Amino acid sequence: MANKFGIACFLVSVVALSVPLVAHHGTASFDTGKTVTVKGTVMEYVWSNPHVLVKVDAKDDNGNVAHWVLEAQNPVTQASRGWSKNMFKAGDEVSLDITPAKNNQPVGEIRGRIVINGKEFKESQ
Amino acid sequence: MSKRLVVPIVAVLAAGMSSPLLRAQDEKWNNVPPRQATYNGKQPSGPTPRRDLSGIWDAAQTLGVSGATEHPALFPAGPGGRGAEGGREDETGITRPLPYTSLGLQALKANKPSGPGVRQVDSLLTNDPAGKCDPLGFPYMFLWELRTLNVVQTRKQVIMLSPFYGNYRVIWTDARKPPADPDPRYNGYSVGRWVDDYTFVVETTGMLPKTWLDHAGRPHSDQLAVQETYHRVAGDTLELTMKIMDPKMYTEPWLALNKLPLHLMPDDFDIPELLCSPSEFAEYNKLVAAPVLRDSSKK
Repeated sequence: MANKFGIACFLVSVVALSVPLVAHHGTASFDTGKTVTVKGTVMEYVWSNPHVLVKVDAKDDNGNVAHWVLEAQNPVTQASRGWSKNMFKAGDEVSLDITPAKNNQPVGEIRGRIVINGKEFKESQ
Repeated sequence: MSKRLVVPIVAVLAAGMSSPLLRAQDEKWNNVPPRQATYNGKQPSGPTPRRDLSGIWDAAQTLGVSGATEHPALFPAGPGGRGAEGGREDETGITRPLPYTSLGLQALKANKPSGPGVRQVDSLLTNDPAGKCDPLGFPYMFLWELRTLNVVQTRKQVIMLSPFYGNYRVIWTDARKPPADPDPRYNGYSVGRWVDDYTFVVETTGMLPKTWLDHAGRPHSDQLAVQETYHRVAGDTLELTMKIMDPKMYTEPWLALNKLPLHLMPDDFDIPELLCSPSEFAEYNKLVAAPVLRDSSKK
């Protein structure tokens, strides 16, 4: 459970249809029926293959911190969506909608609403 | 360096970094094909060149960067879903099944893909060559992540350069015959010929049997022969059809691609690289693939 890890996230919605990623891996390990919002501070942003990664520390109401690792697609695909190597920086306060891991580890796939320092980022279509 | 010098230098550098001129120069690099491309921008004009494939060709518009193949490699699934759960041994029940021989079916089951589909396994458990940054070989390189190709044509060769995994292949056009008993190679041995001014046919044999056909783990044997037909239907459009022939693995030939359109990009289009780095992959496996493994006893 998300609360088990002391994270500031909540279940947003249940998505009826899974949308497989175009990636080197499928969605077998992720719960594509759920969207979770992770709110926290960016610790590191890794612009690399096979997936761009955003590491986010998120606190719960008790001050417990979970260290999230959130993946996007590869840099070329992300660039086509308007991302860049400068999109995040350490210290940014973010709110990211993600598809969580089935085994409840603090790992997820970024998919959905992205808010950075209070400003929503709209991906290119 | 004195503080009096450092401050102006930093100021000049900062101004330069944000200058329109520098940004305009950067726009010449790492061009990403539009995802919902209209291709109505800079298009080549003039008559369609005869017996010429040279140029930068992009398939992303059609493929959505991957997988819209005749027998979808990325999403082999049944009518009720896209196979997000994975875990099946074979492809029974998928919408477009392949004509496997018994040996082919056995080989399919031995390949454990991580790509989306009914047979997908957790990323950490795959034996996909791509999961180790091994060479994909041909035709895997064309049946997964076929994005943008740089095609160079010389008097005796057509050379296809793909930034994905750093792949390239050479197609000989000097009328040589395919080798009779070749040492297998990842990309095999390719010979091409023009059957008319706008149709180029390539025959490839001699591929390493340990490579996969695609990201879904479709197998092949040493008897694999691939026929590609490139038909230039217009100056800016090429259609690619790919036939797979392997009597050991498949009871009949089948089309992996059927008139897949490739679009000619402007000749100053800089293809971004998309390479597989073993060290980056290992880091990814440590940070993501291992933690999300559903059955931790398999780590």
